Amino acid sequence: MAVKPYPKLQETLYFEKLDNGLEVFILPKPGFTKTYATFTTRYGSIDNHFRPAGKEAVRVPDGIAHFLEHKMFEEPEGDIFSTFASQGASANAFTSFDRTVYLFSATGSVEKNVDTLLNFVQNPYFTDENVEKEKGIIIQEINMYRDNPDWRVYYGLIEALYSKHPVHIDIAGTAESVRSITKEMLYECYRTFYHPSNMSLFIVGGIDAEATMARVKANQAGKSFDPAGPVERLFEEEPAEVRQPRIEIKLPVSLPKCLFGYKEDPGASAGDAAIRRELATKLMLDALLGASSPLYQQLYEDNLISDGFGHEYNTGPGYAFSVVGGDTRDPDELVSRVTEAFRSASESGIGEDVFERARRKKIGAYLRMLNSPEAIAGEFTRYRLKGGDLFALVELYESLTLEEINARLREHADPSRLAVSIVRGDAT
Amino acid sequence: MTAELFERGSVGRMRLHVLPTKRFKTFSLSLFVGIPLNEAWVTPVALTPFVLRRGTAAYPETISFRERLDDLYGAGFGFDLYKRGDYQIVQFRLDIINDRFVSSQESLLKEAISFLGEVLTAPALEDGQFRSRYVETEKTTVAKRIDAIINDKIRYAGERCIEEMCKDEPYRLLALGRKDDLSGIDADSLYRRYSEWLGSAVLDLYVSGDTSLGEVQSFAEKAFKLPSGSPQRYSAPVLRAPRAEPQTIVERLDVGQGKLNLGLRTSTSYGDPDYAALLVYNGVLGAFPHSKLFVNVREKASLAYYAASRLDGHKGLLTIQSGIEIENYERALGIIREQLAAMKEGQFAADDIARTKAMLENQLREIQDSAYERISFDFNSVLSGTERTAGSLQAEVDAVTPEAIVEAAQGVVLDTIYFLRDRKGDN
Repeated sequence: MAVKPYPKLQETLYFEKLDNGLEVFILPKPGFTKTYATFTTRYGSIDNHFRPAGKEAVRVPDGIAHFLEHKMFEEPEGDIFSTFASQGASANAFTSFDRTVYLFSATGSVEKNVDTLLNFVQNPYFTDENVEKEKGIIIQEINMYRDNPDWRVYYGLIEALYSKHPVHIDIAGTAESVRSITKEMLYECYRTFYHPSNMSLFIVGGIDAEATMARVKANQAGKSFDPAGPVERLFEEEPAEVRQPRIEIKLPVSLPKCLFGYKEDPGASAGDAAIRRELATKLMLDALLGASSPLYQQLYEDNLISDGFGHEYNTGPGYAFSVVGGDTRDPDELVSRVTEAFRSASESGIGEDVFERARRKKIGAYLRMLNSPEAIAGEFTRYRLKGGDLFALVELYESLTLEEINARLREHADPSRLAVSIVRGDAT
Repeated sequence: MTAELFERGSVGRMRLHVLPTKRFKTFSLSLFVGIPLNEAWVTPVALTPFVLRRGTAAYPETISFRERLDDLYGAGFGFDLYKRGDYQIVQFRLDIINDRFVSSQESLLKEAISFLGEVLTAPALEDGQFRSRYVETEKTTVAKRIDAIINDKIRYAGERCIEEMCKDEPYRLLALGRKDDLSGIDADSLYRRYSEWLGSAVLDLYVSGDTSLGEVQSFAEKAFKLPSGSPQRYSAPVLRAPRAEPQTIVERLDVGQGKLNLGLRTSTSYGDPDYAALLVYNGVLGAFPHSKLFVNVREKASLAYYAASRLDGHKGLLTIQSGIEIENYERALGIIREQLAAMKEGQFAADDIARTKAMLENQLREIQDSAYERISFDFNSVLSGTERTAGSLQAEVDAVTPEAIVEAAQGVVLDTIYFLRDRKGDN
């Protein structure tokens, strides 16, 4: 077991890659009552077209990774939530574009709960009947999101930005795609993506690293897995330009919702350069659009934005885009004011003091995040999938330069690759 | 578990609660300002923190105010407004990193307390009142917030159900106030309300981090310029009886999914000795994925993605919420009523109780790991005048018997059925 201390952060990380390929990370938090564990597979909604080792390529229905996540909780002896509950643990899971995460938090019976987590995810149990029963539940989940304007405007933007890349497909799929899913398809996806060598386990909390690692190893040693074959993920080529510059839908909302963003060349989705680019872009967006920026204050005074105005930057295998916006009385005016600010800042450059303040803010937010085991587990795994190290981010932030941020701004804000998504009510 | 305890003191009208701990990388500050919820005050009180966050005497321009927070290593500042029991509470939060993680020249805790003191007691003024530009802009912001509730249909249905259930009492009001009141408020009238508010509200400052009561006391004395007086206390809520027959409210909007919400009254509130029994009752009924509602509405009948109950212990209300296919209204309501009846008749297994207790005890232990959750839990005790700690509530939960759950169930009465549905067939 490798031990990596981070003296400045007062954290120590333990790591081992097991014989079956599973990566195990343990972060003891002395004095903490709670333990939080995530078991992650590098498999998400974008992995809908792939060639399993030695087989023909398959294209699976939209929403199947998410469906699989739901179904994993059913075991021959019943619902795994009950098992966790009797061990005092609260369990959950979620599916994103590029990963599926199973998790629990508990303040006791930690080793038992770790076993339960590993065992239920490594024991798929799908029947025609239980797959059929799940469809009604997932369709209600889809309907719930369809009535949610924040979610609709967000996905509207991704749809406007991307024409081929599966990032534009709803993570839960559609009622129709969900109805077409069978247990055979679920098993095929499971076999392809749930091999230990495609997965990682992260445990953080008031635990002993040695004992916890021993428990994980004993659990895994008692199971046999076929050798892992290489999985080839297939992506059609995504054109550089946006699919459509503007998307508008109607839903009952009090004010129009407007999100817009720039599509970028995806570049490498993993590695130091990719992570550096991500941090630099986020810092740049905050310097320009954050609550202490002159632009933000002016837009607020002009009643063009509200407290929910925000920004983010999203990257993954084959995609990279920014998301900017919120509720506004006048979407066109908002887009034109913000894009004009991007243009003029590209010319004049972000100033040194603004850059330093934004950097300080980012480092502070990062350190505050380290108070939360949940956030650490989520962010650690996300950076790990990108080949990076969450605990090295302060050094990375400190090494960013103003020139780099300004170069990022000029490169990112390409007006020909902007798309706008709007949700409006009848009266707005 | 290390027994870290809150140390108590006061500065003038404000009570101090300090949790010395080295566990976190931050100092967490929470300031609770509460007054009885009522029609005359609700809107100006809701508007006040919005105006206060625009600027202080030392940082009168919003941009300099925000820059100051960024310079304090991106201190997290914000506020919440909510109803708790019969009170309207404004909670200010400030989260700032401990100096030892950065090379800072200033005591960040001192700066944080000083900043918070200024926000509350030394706002940016012009001609002895609030800046009217800030007041006017923030009136628009509050109006937009109130309007925006309809955007999130889950929240909207929840608020509407409470509004209908409590239509004859102040609890029907939103913590954000009433939109119609806003036009009658100006900088002068708001400043007068604000001054009265500071002089009459119950004030509690919490600080958690590597500090002591003495240190916080000396910082707070300089930072807060409060009207004179001694600390006030909260009083227990008045629990209303349910209506004789449940009312049914159907509302129509352009929605795809129906939202079925039930409002129930209980005969117990947070400060009562039988509160733990009601907590376990709620757990067996609908707080968890192993609970009756989740298992029967979702897992067995496949009618919903979410089906849960929530206990508002401070007001003694219990709500049930679910998102369903509109045509399944009768079926879902039938299943939910069966679960309520089963609870009354004691139809639950020893396993259900054991799981619920294990989950509740886990939740209570988890509180230890978050500064804000420890503060919230302690404030709940302060608010309801109990001496309860997370540890003592665990013991109370553990001691709950099946008979006590059945007894709690007898006090839970359905008051309001609220259904948000589509416009089809509506004339």
